[in-house]
Amino acid sequence: MSTLWKEFSKGLWTDLPPFKLVLGLCPTLAVTKTAYNGFGMGVAVIFVLALSNLLVSLLRKVIPAKVRIACFIVVAASLVVCVELLMQAYAYPLYQQLGIFVPLIVVNCIILGRAEAFASKNPILLSVADGLGMGLGYTLALTFLGSLRELFGYGTWFGMQVMGGWYEPFTFMVEAPGAFVCLGLILAGMNALTNWQRRSKGLAPVQGPGHDCKSCGMCACKE
Amino acid sequence: MRDMLKMILVLSLICGLSGLTLATVRQATRPRIEEQVMTYVQGPALRQIFPDCENNPVKDRKTFDASTGKVTVFPAMKGGKLEGVALETFGKGYGGPIGIMVGFSTDGDTLKGIGITTLKETPGLGQRITEPEFRDQFRGHTTREVALSKSGGDIAAVSGATISSTGTVGAINDAIKIFQQIKERLRTSWGS
Repeated sequence: MSTLWKEFSKGLWTDLPPFKLVLGLCPTLAVTKTAYNGFGMGVAVIFVLALSNLLVSLLRKVIPAKVRIACFIVVAASLVVCVELLMQAYAYPLYQQLGIFVPLIVVNCIILGRAEAFASKNPILLSVADGLGMGLGYTLALTFLGSLRELFGYGTWFGMQVMGGWYEPFTFMVEAPGAFVCLGLILAGMNALTNWQRRSKGLAPVQGPGHDCKSCGMCACKE
Repeated sequence: MRDMLKMILVLSLICGLSGLTLATVRQATRPRIEEQVMTYVQGPALRQIFPDCENNPVKDRKTFDASTGKVTVFPAMKGGKLEGVALETFGKGYGGPIGIMVGFSTDGDTLKGIGITTLKETPGLGQRITEPEFRDQFRGHTTREVALSKSGGDIAAVSGATISSTGTVGAINDAIKIFQQIKERLRTSWGS
């Protein structure tokens, strides 16, 4: 049970995908104009990530090592098309908002990264826990970023009016540059928080990514 | 050699299974997706043309055969009587096809108005065909002759957007032609 919880919870803080691993940034920047859009994108990612981890883990003994990436992509792509069709059928306005970024989930590094780095080496239950945790962390992160941008850019939160009539909407926040500025500030805040925590424990502050490269597994720095 | 065979086998099997799943999901969601697209793309355009209709034109739609193929016609009812019908045609725009929903009175003599469904025109130029200034020229206009002022009609084009304006008028004339073909059948299709 404790390992299950460990794998699930690492996606929520220590390996939080967009802010700690800095993965999956394309949708993070592009669709978080409002909290609802960020949330919807996150839910789609949870679905794809949990199921792709499940399937990859199920098939991990069957898939030959040489064609594993191709197999992972087929699995992820099929799931993404399923999500796209279901979203069109049951949440069309959300689909209109997210547009091209739904099919683009397939090239989201988190999906392939988790399949390669975790699901292909671990049993089914752990893989699903990992997928759900990472997906949930991603959803929370996107909803948080979306909330920030919506609050300052429109003065609303999930479509509800929050700021009073005196508030002059800061439209910059819902434009593309606002996404970069917001993400940068959040990353800076995360780093400051990590170093503050380390210092209070008497450890030396760190620079650069605090996670180990194994959690992504996609780039050249792995071994 | 064995490895090679296994690779081919596994990859083909996975691809085959994924194809099967996708075909099933697509088949299962198709009617609902069509309904949703109608509601969120054609629905708003229909509401612009018939702001006070009492039925749901998308739900009551019927298809008719015309010389150009199948045409979907959306009825607008008021007080239990057919108030008008609308059908969608496409004109050639600057950035792609322009989808126009054209509303007719029941007798087909006047236009009830137009609504834009698909538009990829330049913002500030072609996009301005959605503005009331251009659109409202068609409300109550006769169906006998719809033409831009430069070709002898009385529709003022959006300045700087000749292609978009011509495309819109072309689409409306196509719709009028289709309407004339199916006019007789329309009368009896929704009661009254």
